[in-house]
Amino acid sequence: MKDIGQIWNDLANPKRIPRLFSVVLGLILIVGFFVPMALNDHQIYPRPLPQEQIDQENPLAPYDRGGVPLVEPGIVKAQYPQNSAKLGMVTGYLSPIAIGVKNTTRYYGTSIYSSPGGLIDEILYYTRGFDTILESAILMMAFVIASWVALNFTMRRRKD
Amino acid sequence: MDIATLGGQILGQIPLGDIVLYLTPFNLFMFAGALIFTTLIAISRTETQIEAEFGSLKDKKVKVDLEEFKIRRFLAIVCGLATAGAMITGDLFNFTLFVALIGIVNIGIVSAVKQVDVLNAAYQYGLVAMIASMPLFAGAALILGATGTLSLFQLSQTVTTPMMYFASLLLLMGIIGETGVAPFYATKAEMFRTPGSPFILIIHLSSLLIIIRAIEILLIINKPF
Repeated sequence: MKDIGQIWNDLANPKRIPRLFSVVLGLILIVGFFVPMALNDHQIYPRPLPQEQIDQENPLAPYDRGGVPLVEPGIVKAQYPQNSAKLGMVTGYLSPIAIGVKNTTRYYGTSIYSSPGGLIDEILYYTRGFDTILESAILMMAFVIASWVALNFTMRRRKD
Repeated sequence: MDIATLGGQILGQIPLGDIVLYLTPFNLFMFAGALIFTTLIAISRTETQIEAEFGSLKDKKVKVDLEEFKIRRFLAIVCGLATAGAMITGDLFNFTLFVALIGIVNIGIVSAVKQVDVLNAAYQYGLVAMIASMPLFAGAALILGATGTLSLFQLSQTVTTPMMYFASLLLLMGIIGETGVAPFYATKAEMFRTPGSPFILIIHLSSLLIIIRAIEILLIINKPF
């Protein structure tokens, strides 16, 4: 039987910390299997059922939100509609190239993010735009650190 | 629990679409504290340590060179700004992103040093921070699933379900891992041994402020009283 001082000493070794953390996290996740999961039906960012638009043979499935650019807003909801007055106005915009591709295939929606002038995700860039800025900031900091370490610990390394 | 009960009267809001930053006296005080400390760091120089050499009468001077000084000052300022932002945000997912940003910048602040022990500790901290990002974002996602919203104003009005208690537990686990508080403090304690004092202190200050803010947010979500 270890006394409490021995346990504190074991905790002071940095090598044990990731293991200890993973074990505790694993136990909590096992507890999660027994927690009743009750999803709320009134989601702020709703999606149509996954197969609904695909069954309708919509080429933009599953990302079709409807709407005519600058005329009629598409179906995009916001938590605070008063903060984003023009919501949904550009969500239906497709560039001429995108319209051309859309007319040739039924699977345009699945390649939506790699195509020029694809559907503009207004949740990502309008209502929750600050989150997107922060996400890119995290990525940028990771690259700053990695490139600094790579440069200064390899190419510019001095003998010391 | 009500936001006004915890932080005092709401003085104002900064609406950024769905993400609404709000200012109460409590949050504003921590926000200003983080900003003042960041300013002090931005204009100060690093300390120099003197190490006694074993087996001789000589001393060794441990200095931070200019390249290292520049990158550490930059990352310390980013860390301070992220801490300040996390203090006033009124959106749960926004808060988790700030915490993740602080976690990765903390690794960066010590990654430039040349002591092997410190780098080792920073590596272990990086592992914990990487593992911790899973419960951090999973907790926020489960709360979104359980309530259908991420705004703290809306969350303070909803009824708490068992799924939200579990999500809060995951969220707390993620924040504990990213900030490195007890019982997972050993990696961060080792990181403080390197020279370059003011930049090291922002690591400490950010975890303190984030923990206080996390407790406030968990009280808002779970309404235990």
